[in-house]
Amino acid sequence: MSDSVVLRTIGGMLFPYILVYGLYVQMHGEIGPGGGFQAGVLVAAAFILHALLFGKELTDRLLPTWLVDLAMSLGVLLYIGVGILGLVKGRYFLDYSVLDPTHPAHAEALGMTLVEAGVGLTVASVILTMVRKVNGESS
Amino acid sequence: MTSTDVSFELITALLILGGAVLALIRAVKGPTTYDRVLAVNVFGTKTVIILALLGYIGNRSGFLDIAVLYALVNFLGTVALLRFVESRRFFQ
Repeated sequence: MSDSVVLRTIGGMLFPYILVYGLYVQMHGEIGPGGGFQAGVLVAAAFILHALLFGKELTDRLLPTWLVDLAMSLGVLLYIGVGILGLVKGRYFLDYSVLDPTHPAHAEALGMTLVEAGVGLTVASVILTMVRKVNGESS
Repeated sequence: MTSTDVSFELITALLILGGAVLALIRAVKGPTTYDRVLAVNVFGTKTVIILALLGYIGNRSGFLDIAVLYALVNFLGTVALLRFVESRRFFQ
């Protein structure tokens, strides 16, 4: 099965589409079904499919482990950063209005996008790491 | 007439649901692993169609997004299951 031409071709064609669909779910999450968590799971699923079909070494070359670890902390940092920014400006935690004081609606959209981006990054990298660990790979 | 259309779609969805039940029976009873994998794959495909039909009945475009997502993840699940059956581990 690992040499199957059909699987490799279909999987190689499907891989970018799953990634783009994950981005669509991420961007469209506020008005449709989806959001940061679902988009993260989809992006992780795309890389899991890549690892299943082309082997782990090739996926590690595409997405190195240090980058996954970095994305994991970067997502949390983005979320907490938006929250702390409200505290620093003298408002509540996660108060979006400090991002654009003149236009509260714009500020809320920007804040939600940033927070969702943080959630997506963290979820994608955490699920990739979980799959690696389940597969028995030591850190 | 709108009501006739809706009932027509609903009957289609119910028939496909019956087919899904048959696939599920095969997945439980299947003599070999490949029967089960194939039955689960068929069940997933039927889920995609039912989701699209329900989205059409309820006039919600959001269901189509979920249907596309289910189709993509269904393929991934089948590949992962077959790989696990073949070599007892997911990645080489």
